[in-house]
Amino acid sequence: MDIRSPLPGVFYRRPSPESDPFVEPGSPVGPDTVVALVEVMKQFFEVQAGTSGTIATVAVADADMVDAGQILFTVHQS
Amino acid sequence: MALSVLKPGLATTVQDTGRPGYYNVGIPPSGSLDQYSSLAANLLVGNAEDAAVLECTYMGPELRFDRPATVAVTGADLPPRLGGEPRPVWESFAVEMGDVLSFDFLRSGARAYIAVSGGFDVPVMLGSRSTYALGALGGVGGRALAAGDELPIGDADGAAPGRSVPAALRSTHPKHREIRVMMGLYDHRLTDGGRRAFLDAEWRLTTLADRTGFRYRGAALEFRERVAPFGAGSDPSNIVDAPYPIGSIQIPGGVEPIVLHRDAVSGGGYVMVGTVISADMDDVGQSAPNITTRFVEVDLDGALRARRERADRLEALREAVR
Amino acid sequence: MSGPGRPARRSFGGDDHIFVEFDEEMNLPANFRVMAVTATLAERRIDGVIDICPANVSYQVRFDPDRVAPRDLVAELEATEATVGDGTDFDLRTTILELPILYGDPWTRETGERFRSHRQDPDATDLEYAARVNGFDSVAGFVAAHSNSPWFASMVGFVAGLPFLFQMVPRERQLEVPKYLSPRTDTPKLTIGHGGCFGSIYSVRGAGGYQMLGITPAPIYDPTQTHPDFADSLVFFEPGFIVKYEPIDRETYDELTAQVEARRYRIRQAPVEFSLGRFLADPDGYNRGLTEVLRGS
Repeated sequence: MDIRSPLPGVFYRRPSPESDPFVEPGSPVGPDTVVALVEVMKQFFEVQAGTSGTIATVAVADADMVDAGQILFTVHQS
Repeated sequence: MALSVLKPGLATTVQDTGRPGYYNVGIPPSGSLDQYSSLAANLLVGNAEDAAVLECTYMGPELRFDRPATVAVTGADLPPRLGGEPRPVWESFAVEMGDVLSFDFLRSGARAYIAVSGGFDVPVMLGSRSTYALGALGGVGGRALAAGDELPIGDADGAAPGRSVPAALRSTHPKHREIRVMMGLYDHRLTDGGRRAFLDAEWRLTTLADRTGFRYRGAALEFRERVAPFGAGSDPSNIVDAPYPIGSIQIPGGVEPIVLHRDAVSGGGYVMVGTVISADMDDVGQSAPNITTRFVEVDLDGALRARRERADRLEALREAVR
Repeated sequence: MSGPGRPARRSFGGDDHIFVEFDEEMNLPANFRVMAVTATLAERRIDGVIDICPANVSYQVRFDPDRVAPRDLVAELEATEATVGDGTDFDLRTTILELPILYGDPWTRETGERFRSHRQDPDATDLEYAARVNGFDSVAGFVAAHSNSPWFASMVGFVAGLPFLFQMVPRERQLEVPKYLSPRTDTPKLTIGHGGCFGSIYSVRGAGGYQMLGITPAPIYDPTQTHPDFADSLVFFEPGFIVKYEPIDRETYDELTAQVEARRYRIRQAPVEFSLGRFLADPDGYNRGLTEVLRGS
């Protein structure tokens, strides 16, 4: 199962530069867990996992541009 | 009330053919950034050409219909679902009372248009229903849709679902675009090298791309030395505040050109080096962050030829869908 | 060419705009020529013209090239400019108004605090900084210079209904203040700003780079059209309007704000004819005559 970006923009793993990442490989997630932010038009959109399980891999580097539908994380489903 | 907003999407606004005639007091034309697709959506559901549609940027909303209607989605490739079942784009389909329209992730392009038979019947302000968010004017309360909004729909003449735009007349949205421009305005302020660099560079659209303007990144442009005119400001890219054409390309600081679109700021103090021709403004409106663009110079006759070609394509669309 | 002075510089802005520049530097004669030409153009009601937008030393016409050939329209503009000449014979029928300002108000001050790193002198208020860079010993001296002579709305735009204002004094008395080092993302609605040689009134809340000097209680943009001055138009200002500022204290500000909220407030205004020739001959004397009109209104 993958978590994809719902929109094009800049991918952020942290809520702010000083904070810890929302999730790391091994983090448990539920459907409503916020896993990343995507920024576009000066708006920060919260990406939710949309599924339950544990984060397997982070597919995009922090602050990279992503397209809509691009895989951000892979998830081991529980 | 005929349509309820369950989820608003990212920046979904009511738009139509726009609000001409008030740019002299700073109120821009607004209207759908991709007028071709917006027209196609209206034709598909049997609406008047100036009926109001929804413009969805990068992401679709989730909408519940409180009455039956005919719906069409055009523009960006943003696949619709009705009650979870896939529905086509560039093709009208029926919705029943209580149906929920939602969308998959964007596949290409930037802005999808949703037309509903009867049109979105928000109040007409200065001759248009278009939303101009900077001025809190038009649309629903002068802003983008929010969850819980209810949108009135006008009376429909009973358009049948199942109308379709032929494949050849559907817009496509490549990852690389060539956008035609007429150089001019203050392009004499660029050095020869700066002018060449502007036309040679491969520009990449940044995330700062909204209805006001599209900001690109790709090269630094050099300006000629000068003594700053009184009132202009000290940066070489400053001018005494001047009017900004719709489609004009300004270059604050010599980096990151901005193409103004239909919610343009009407004037300001940055050098403009040219203007996107009217025929290519739809393509700018369908540009999403990260796509690459080359600005290609044409002269007035080339721009007018392109405008005629676009008019012919609009006419072909009307013929094909009616 | 259109009368004395610099020849006009023209450019197409794509296939649907024509841009005309009379001068590169800000000055009232060039602005007045813009006003005279655009007012005359509007009277000609040329088919296919969509918007005629006067600006400080330039103007643009947005048109429909399917209805008027671009080169024919250029010829129309040239003919109009030739008729108008330099504009000194033109009498502009316009409006003079008085706007109350609370200088150094708490809201723009608080906003300035939030954008300390954007400012030349984070430890001074914008008003103190503006006074100092213009050589005044005190804020009071700057406020007097700012409010004693009227201002000409040389352009309306950027966003809906925002006037650019140019003070009607000889150049050596023009107030000049650098803009913020980098723009703010927020400015209170109805802030009185100043950047370079221009004043402005922020018609809506939003981004901005002008120094913030004060705030007016008077609405100048009303998309709801519920205030009495806005029955006919959402936008109060038109290019060519003349503004005289009236410094007020906090108590008066609060009283006027209550009137605004009760939809009872009206901007004090009067119709006036402005002659550039007579202004240039005696700016201060002419300005006194202009502002006298307000006393009778």
